[in-house]
Amino acid sequence: MVQTQKSQAELLFDAQQRKVRLFRTYVTISWVVLLGLLIYIFSGPIELDTEFIRKNALFIAGGVWQTLFISVVSIIMAIVLALLAALGRLSTFPPIYALSTFYVSMIRGTPLFLQIFFFYLALPQLGIVFPAIWSGILPLGLNYGAYMSETFRAGISSVSKGQREAAAALGMTPLQTMRRVILPQALRFAIPPMGNDFISMTKDSALVSATGFVHEVMWRATRVGRAQFNNLEALIVAAIFYWGMTLILTFFQSRLEARLGRGDR
Amino acid sequence: MTAIVSVSNLDKYFGHLHVIKNISLDVQPREVVCLIGRSGSGKSTLLRCINFLEEPSHGSIEVDGLRVDSGGRGKEQRQLIHDLRLKTGMVFQEFNLFPHMTVLENVIEGPVIVKNTDRKQAIALAEENLNSVGMLFKKDEYPLRLSGGQKQRVAIARALTMQPRVMLFDEPTSALDPELIGEVLNVMKKVALDGMTMLVVTHEMGFAREVADRVIVMSEGELIEDSKPDELFKNPKDPRTKALIDRYRTGEQ
Repeated sequence: MVQTQKSQAELLFDAQQRKVRLFRTYVTISWVVLLGLLIYIFSGPIELDTEFIRKNALFIAGGVWQTLFISVVSIIMAIVLALLAALGRLSTFPPIYALSTFYVSMIRGTPLFLQIFFFYLALPQLGIVFPAIWSGILPLGLNYGAYMSETFRAGISSVSKGQREAAAALGMTPLQTMRRVILPQALRFAIPPMGNDFISMTKDSALVSATGFVHEVMWRATRVGRAQFNNLEALIVAAIFYWGMTLILTFFQSRLEARLGRGDR
Repeated sequence: MTAIVSVSNLDKYFGHLHVIKNISLDVQPREVVCLIGRSGSGKSTLLRCINFLEEPSHGSIEVDGLRVDSGGRGKEQRQLIHDLRLKTGMVFQEFNLFPHMTVLENVIEGPVIVKNTDRKQAIALAEENLNSVGMLFKKDEYPLRLSGGQKQRVAIARALTMQPRVMLFDEPTSALDPELIGEVLNVMKKVALDGMTMLVVTHEMGFAREVADRVIVMSEGELIEDSKPDELFKNPKDPRTKALIDRYRTGEQ
């Protein structure tokens, strides 16, 4: 009988597991209740023009691809810029260090909204005209690049000096050390905040709609909403699409994080 | 017999601090030399100068016929330092395994990336060395899952797989729990018996006594004694050596 009995530690562990499971169940139930409440409010007490929603939901949904395209291209640009700025920030060569800090300070010191308008309205005055979608992508990429550079810099600094020394003792060049030893560890450190940045980006891309040339989700919602004075319905539909996108992206982010987490710390 | 490691007139300053004071030292092939001394005596710095992890302020290092002078700059010097590091393997106090690579990946990284060894060949060599340090059974684990002693044994295999002419050990057991020290010292003893030339900075007097061919005592950046372990432990010439040994004796009891 002795071998079937669980040890004190195992019993304690089981009790803890039960507690965690119970907590999760209650959270899920509460979520369902909150969601049900929201759906109830908008189907009873607040009357929505369902006819309008049925007619225009597809039109608004057509902007999802634009939103995602802008976000993906901008985030790729931001990652490249952030990496360069982070390396510049760690450089001991004064002009490179200065260039990096100058860029980050200038971008972080001004509103993203202003930067977007700068590309649409100010640069054309100087004869610099980008295709509409690029005037949205460039400021988003520049802006997020500046913010993400801090994440990258922290990631690179988080790799201990001993790692560089071990690589050097093996005869690795500084470039090999960066590529094989420092960056893989720094990126793993930077992935969770980068995922958050990407999710914010999909939402901040809505700002691009204000210029009126890029037909992403927000632009479409405000267009049909204003035209027929159904702003409430239009914005609720747009909100659902944004929320849905972020939920899907969050799911992929946590998957990626788990994959990269192997062997860490 | 010609020396395999020659340190000539080495000086090292950290700012105004003179930590290595005009040291010259020869090590013969297959010799095991232990460097002992109180912390701050410069023994680790001396060891780290040998593969230029610390750049000497004056003097030169010669390993296996390759001489590197301090003060050199530019591409040529970088190449010399690179070649010097290929001739020396190093084991650190803090192991410094790459946490994002498995044990096997850690060990083949140097040969594959630095020496462009064929991957299959590198794996064969790595597995042989992992086997000899008793760590082959963990080859697909990440360092996170290993004990300190196991990590250090992998680090030794990693250094050996570069096929260096000399192994440098920088306090290899100082970060270990007392019960894990033995397994690492045993592996080091085995490496010594295989004929590797070794320089070992250590506080392990038992190891120095049993395995070393020579024990060098450092104090305040100078070599104060250099003799066979039996002699040194029985009849220390310098009072500072005697004080050091006595301290460990009382520490052991």
